[in-house]
Amino acid sequence: MKRFIVKRLGFAVISLFLLSLTIFVFVRVTGDPAVLLVEPGASAADLEAIRQQFGLDRPLWVQYGSFLAHLARGDLGQSFYYKTDVFELYLSRLPSSLLLAAVAMTFSLVIGIPTGVVAAVRVNGWWDSAGKVFALLGLSLPSFWVGLLMILFFSVYLGWLPSSGSGTVWHVLMPAFALGWYFAAAHMRLTRSSMLEVLGSEYVKLARLKGLPEALVIAKHALKNALIPVLTLAGINLVLMINVAVVVETVFAWPGIGRLLYEGIAFRDFPVVQAIVLLGGAMIVAVNLVVDVLYAVIDPRIRYER
Amino acid sequence: MSRPTTPGLIAARRLALCGLVAVALLVPTPAPGAPEGQLTWAVHVSVAPTWFDPAETPGILTPFMILYALHDGLVKPMPGNAMAPSLAESWSASRDGLVYEFVLRKGPRFHNGEPVTAEDVKFSFERYRGAAAATFKAKVARVEVVDPQRVRFVLTQPWPDFMTFYATPATGAAWIVPKKYLMAVGDEGFKKAPIGAGPYRFTSFRPGVELVLEAFESYWRTTPSVKTLVFRVIPDESTRLAALARGEVDIAYSITGALAEELTRTPGLSLQPTHFTFTTWLVFTEMWDPKSPWHDRRVRLAVNLAIDRQGINQAAYLGRSKLALSFIPQAMEYFWAPPLYPFDPKRAQQLLAKAGYASGFEAGELFGDTVYGVAIGEPVVNNLQAVGIRLKLRPLERAAFFSQYGEKKLHGVLLSGSGAPGNAATRLEAYAVAGGRYVYGSYPEVDGLFAEQANEINTRVRTQVLTKMQQIIHERAAFAPIIEPAFLNGVGPRVAVHGLGAIANHAYSAPYEDLRVKAK
Repeated sequence: MKRFIVKRLGFAVISLFLLSLTIFVFVRVTGDPAVLLVEPGASAADLEAIRQQFGLDRPLWVQYGSFLAHLARGDLGQSFYYKTDVFELYLSRLPSSLLLAAVAMTFSLVIGIPTGVVAAVRVNGWWDSAGKVFALLGLSLPSFWVGLLMILFFSVYLGWLPSSGSGTVWHVLMPAFALGWYFAAAHMRLTRSSMLEVLGSEYVKLARLKGLPEALVIAKHALKNALIPVLTLAGINLVLMINVAVVVETVFAWPGIGRLLYEGIAFRDFPVVQAIVLLGGAMIVAVNLVVDVLYAVIDPRIRYER
Repeated sequence: MSRPTTPGLIAARRLALCGLVAVALLVPTPAPGAPEGQLTWAVHVSVAPTWFDPAETPGILTPFMILYALHDGLVKPMPGNAMAPSLAESWSASRDGLVYEFVLRKGPRFHNGEPVTAEDVKFSFERYRGAAAATFKAKVARVEVVDPQRVRFVLTQPWPDFMTFYATPATGAAWIVPKKYLMAVGDEGFKKAPIGAGPYRFTSFRPGVELVLEAFESYWRTTPSVKTLVFRVIPDESTRLAALARGEVDIAYSITGALAEELTRTPGLSLQPTHFTFTTWLVFTEMWDPKSPWHDRRVRLAVNLAIDRQGINQAAYLGRSKLALSFIPQAMEYFWAPPLYPFDPKRAQQLLAKAGYASGFEAGELFGDTVYGVAIGEPVVNNLQAVGIRLKLRPLERAAFFSQYGEKKLHGVLLSGSGAPGNAATRLEAYAVAGGRYVYGSYPEVDGLFAEQANEINTRVRTQVLTKMQQIIHERAAFAPIIEPAFLNGVGPRVAVHGLGAIANHAYSAPYEDLRVKAK
């Protein structure tokens, strides 16, 4: 078991190293951040001064080496735009992102799981069709469009909810719904397919043959097992909600990490983009690592197979 | 119907009246003239802590949105005066143009109560590392503190643009920071808790989210009227308008196109355009090649006559922009006003025919950035198509466009634009004189005249030379100026004085101490 965990940890470190290299190179492909920090018409000397200030005048491998050396000390660098410690910036946005992700995840599970269950139980019926339409809309309607419509309707016309910002419970409702709908649709589809698979299994048939009430069969025997892949997906989705709710956070001016990523991309703030991608990647790697280890604990065959 | 007037009721009313008077006396009321209320802005860009430090101004106007509140300059643009004495009550230049001396005003203090001194002026200049730091280093030999109220700048050579660079938003070098405080807290500490000599003091900041400032009642010019200023960052334009319509903010920056039209239709809201030294124009990169159609002046003139400037202005900016006369903005010092090219497609076609292009020609690509390149480039392409000049629009991401433009990698027609502060000389240097960052080719006479005026301290002579340069460029139709785009903003019903456009060539609300909210 110990060997298994060490091996998995090794894979995790390699994944993060490759991620760091990829993101480091890719952000630099987007162009020169100095151009975005001056007014068009600025002199070549001004641009060069900015490049020197950020160390962008050095060879790429030197920049990467320096980045890794700082990373090893837990230093993610200074933001080009905000001129502050990137990790500090990340932490200042984290609570807002956690709140938004928690409420959006609640929306997505509260809506997605029951709809998926009903769609599976009433397969090919009216409920199933309605569920499919719901999922189709959730997955295909752009969240910025949903967000703007909500602002127009609930803020401007009805005047019920604040249009943007944060601070009260009312502020989180619209962005959480706009973010949660997409994931609710994904959770609904997975719940439906997972339920259909479980409902056709032998042990569910046995439960029915034993004469158990249908509600009990669905709730206790089928749903419990059908939820395992849904919750695994929800775990990964939660990480995505925390780190990459770029569009929703921008439309609602929500002060989270997604908006920070948007600003980082818009201003070519390399350290900010690198940090958010790396920290988000680290969260996903950590979740996968924990899941892998838990699977291995539950099923000893996994340890020997891998 | 008469009201009951029983003795009991009268006594009760007297008691209630006494109670009201007592409550009124107990509740603290602001002193007459004391700042009151709050103004909130929906800001279109992320407020950065570097904007709290004048030393780091990168040659763009945006940080001055905050600098005008937190800090003060020796000399700065104010309503009706592009170089208004502020912390300096006066200044003088020596006859040879080598020495500038500033006399400080008595009384201004920083937010921590310390007086503004000549030492602070010297310190602020020497720690300045913004856009023009290298230029200052080359041209300013030293700064001398003559006495606590007097400071002297000694130049290495006569530099007629010294005040243009020092005392305008071209740099932030004249904006004064407290030396003692900065030495104590360091650069990073200063960005976290900035102290200045401006009309508002720092209260709180969440990077990229919100900045809150509070009135500094001891500000030398006048006590600010509004107690609290809040700058909320709302990146999405539709959301900014929604926040303004709901009264969540009082002023929303940058509302364009259809949303600006919606704003004008919304009761209680008003559209307030501002103008700064920003203009757009076409560059013909191939005009220096004798084989290119663009080499022919008549073709370039045809382009100028084919562009419907007023139509573009109306469609994209609700008619609030200025029609451009030149690639130099009309508000810049030393600007020479050429006549406006009329919209005359017929004459444009005649000129093309005379140049040998009676049925028009395939003109390649029109490059521009994704903002102005699309909003202005698209109608320009349509205008030129109508007279037979067939161009394909190629919008590029803003930074990519300007870096490729600067490296002369783009070939065809470019939709150029610049909002860099300065004067006609600085604009000519960047776009029309050999060696300029965006210059694909130049006229030797223009290059010669530019060198001639560079060290000329006689304003009259310099004006003549710079005018001559602009005349040559206009006569040869070297560029096709389009419009000077307005910066459109929305103002809500609570605002009595918004300060938009109060200072010439400043895009944002200012001066903050003059702003007012309406009485309830």
